[in-house]
Amino acid sequence: MGRLLQLLLRNGGFVTFLLVELGCFAIMVNFNGRQGEIWANTTGIFGGRALEKRQMASDYFSLYETADSLAHVVDSLQARLSNARQMQVPVRDTFFLVNYDSLSKTDSVRRKTVRPQYGFITAKAIKNSISGANNWVIINRGTHDGIQPDMAVVSPAGIVGIVRHVSSNFSLVMSVLHQQAKISVSLPNQKNAFGSLTWEGGNPSQMTLRYIPQHFVVKENEPVVTSGYSLMFPQGHPVGTVIGVPKADPENPYFLEISVKLSQDMSTVRDVAVVYNLFGPELDSLQLKISSNER
Amino acid sequence: MNGSSIYPHILRFIGLVALQSLLLNQMTLSVGPYFNVLLYPLFILFLPLQMPTPYLILLGFTVGMAVDATVPSWGVHASAGAFSGFIRSLAFLPFAPKGGFSPKDPIFAPAHMGWQTFINGTALFMAAHIFWYFSFSYFAPVFAGEILKKTLAAWLLTMLFVALYAMMFNPKK
Repeated sequence: MGRLLQLLLRNGGFVTFLLVELGCFAIMVNFNGRQGEIWANTTGIFGGRALEKRQMASDYFSLYETADSLAHVVDSLQARLSNARQMQVPVRDTFFLVNYDSLSKTDSVRRKTVRPQYGFITAKAIKNSISGANNWVIINRGTHDGIQPDMAVVSPAGIVGIVRHVSSNFSLVMSVLHQQAKISVSLPNQKNAFGSLTWEGGNPSQMTLRYIPQHFVVKENEPVVTSGYSLMFPQGHPVGTVIGVPKADPENPYFLEISVKLSQDMSTVRDVAVVYNLFGPELDSLQLKISSNER
Repeated sequence: MNGSSIYPHILRFIGLVALQSLLLNQMTLSVGPYFNVLLYPLFILFLPLQMPTPYLILLGFTVGMAVDATVPSWGVHASAGAFSGFIRSLAFLPFAPKGGFSPKDPIFAPAHMGWQTFINGTALFMAAHIFWYFSFSYFAPVFAGEILKKTLAAWLLTMLFVALYAMMFNPKK
C-alpha cells in the first residue's frame, strides 16, 4: 500500500487527481440519492441507446434471413388462403365453409374431404420479357427446390405463367403473355361461368377471354379469377377485370369475346410463388386413362 | 514541514471544518439557498507553497470528506477539495513573482504576498472550487443556469468571508 502511494506521488498530480476523483465519483453516485438517481437514469438512457443501435445493426445484417423467413410465411398464408377456397364441402346436405385447421384429427372422413390441395414455393423473377410474340420469365428456383414442369406461377396480384423447363436451380416459365398459354378462368359474379384466357399479342396488360356462353350478361369491371379446373392454378386466384363491353366471338358466335385487363402488371413481376398440386400425380394418372379411352 | 509547523495546519483543518459545518452550512439552511459560503478550501490554500501536488490533492480530499460527513453529501465536497488541491499551483501561477515563489514564502498569505496578489489568487482559486462543487452538487448539465447563479453568489460571499478571515487571523505559516 505504501509503495503504491509512493508510486502515485512520484508520477505527479494528474494521476493522483484522476484516481481520487474517480473514487469521489463512485462515492457520490453510491451514497447520495440525487446523484445516484441522475447517474442511473443517464446510464440507462445511454445503455438503452447503445443496445438499440446494436439491435439495429444486428437487424440490418440479418435482413436476408428475415426476408427468407417472411417468404415462408407468405408460402404458408397463400397455401392456407387457396386451400380455404377448396373447403366448401357438402356436410349433411348443406354447404358449409369449413376451416381445415379447425377439424378434429379424428374426423377422418371430413378431413379427407376438405384436405389442402395446393402448396406454394416462393421465388423471384430474375428475367422477364413482355415485348415479344411469345414471352418467358426465368425464376430462381429449380428441381432442387421441388419445382417441376407444368406448375403454375402466381404473384400476390395475379397470375404469371406456367413452368415449362426446369434446371437444378432455375426454371423457365411460359408467361401468360405467350400465344400458347391458355388459362382456365371464371367469372365469380356469373355463377362461376368459366372460359379460356389467351393472349393475342400487342397490349401486354390485356388478354382475351373466350367460351363464355352468350346468355351471360357480363358487365365492365367484373372480376375474373382462376377457375381451378386446370389443376395447375388454385381456384379463385385473381386474374383481372373485364374491360369494355363483351361482344360475340366472330369465330364462334355462341360465345362471348371478352377483353380482360390483367391485375398483375407483367412488366413489374418480381416476387412470385410456384403452385404445386398435392394431388397432381394422382389426377394426371386419371387424365391419362381418359386419353387412352378416347384413343 | 517540520513538527512545529504542522500544528497551524491541523488547527486550521479542525477550525475550518467546524466553522463550515457548525456555522456556515447552518446559515445556508436558515438564510436561503443562495447564501453559500465555502471557507474550508482555505485549509488547502494555506498549505505550504512547496508541497507537492499529490499531497495537496489527498489533503484536499480529506478536508472535503470531513465536511461531507457533517452535511452529509458524500463525495461532493471531497471531489471539490481534491480538485482545489490539483489546481492550486495553477491558480497561483499568474500571480507568482518572476522565478516562482521563494522558499522563504511558506504559504500563500497576505503577510507574504501582499493583499492584492492574495485576493487575486484566492479569487481565482475559490471561483474554480465553488464552480466544481456546485457542478457536482447538481450533477446534470440541465441545471447549468442554476449552477452559474449559485457559483457567482457563493463566490462573492466567500471572498468577503476570506478577506475577514485573513484580516482576523493574518496567517503567516
